[in-house]
Amino acid sequence: MPHSDHPPTTLTLAGFFDGARTIFPLMPGLVVFAMAFGAAAAQKGLSLTEAGLFSGLVFAGLAQMVALEGWSTHWTAASLLALGFLTMTVNMRHVLMAAALRPWFAPLPAWQSYSALVLLADNNWALAMRYHTQGGRDAGYFIGAGFITWVIWVIGTLAGHVVGGGIPDPKAVGVDLVVPAFFIAMLLPNWRGRREAVGWGVAATVAIVTSFVLAGWWFIVIGALAGAVAGGFTDER
Amino acid sequence: MSVDAGTLLAICVMALATVFNRTAGFFLMRLIPVTPRVRKVLDCLPGAVLVALLAPGAVHGDKGMMAGLVAAVVAAKLVRNDLIPVAAAMAAAAATRAFLP
Repeated sequence: MPHSDHPPTTLTLAGFFDGARTIFPLMPGLVVFAMAFGAAAAQKGLSLTEAGLFSGLVFAGLAQMVALEGWSTHWTAASLLALGFLTMTVNMRHVLMAAALRPWFAPLPAWQSYSALVLLADNNWALAMRYHTQGGRDAGYFIGAGFITWVIWVIGTLAGHVVGGGIPDPKAVGVDLVVPAFFIAMLLPNWRGRREAVGWGVAATVAIVTSFVLAGWWFIVIGALAGAVAGGFTDER
Repeated sequence: MSVDAGTLLAICVMALATVFNRTAGFFLMRLIPVTPRVRKVLDCLPGAVLVALLAPGAVHGDKGMMAGLVAAVVAAKLVRNDLIPVAAAMAAAAATRAFLP
């Protein structure tokens, strides 16, 4: 069995610091996007405390930006329900990401695995899955990378709210490439052969086609599911 | 330092929705028996999620985005370091946007 040669799942402080350190290349991207959110929140009339609570409690960049577009000053039951539904659809990919963590986190006590999952974000998940592929089993790695991401996200939001305008255009300095480039660095070591050729090809094709025919963020979940199933049913020769 | 009750409620609704998303998949997988086939699908999931996130961005993005992604792939293949692909992608995108508008 391929999995018996890996160490059992652990959760250590050493793993926490290891994960926290490895997320470092994402810093410029994280800080600029957190500041952009803070500045946008200020423009929408949110106070500094509200902006900090927003980033601290929700901790989901894309969903926060999308929600802020339609931010209201008068909330009704219907608009709150719509907001909750919007948030769930924008972040539906997290359902798949958490499912992929099951084999790794399952041996942990429930309070530890579910506490760790509250820190799930694209960045620390992508980083942790590469670590897992390379044989790492310390859940502290995932938590450390997630915790640092959370701290930077909240501090950056507060800084952006204070500074307001005058943040450099992220596109002019290429900051919008930080996260995609980091994802590519996480993705490439997963390449093993035929299974990835099929799985990634299907994921890319289905995601691209879906992005043209369906509004919103469904392309991520639909493309990812199609790719994972196609890859999983492809047997290496 | 003001916090509006409605704003706080809206933030809490969003927080609940994100916590649901972050935990539901993990919980549901407890109910699905992990056969060798399911295991293979799960093993393919991380790569498929990343590709599904990246590919539409490349198609809908500008020339700078495309140049940056190519630079990241090349750099990630050449060196085992995460900072170099990020730096190469930023430089390629910034240069493309400055000189090839």
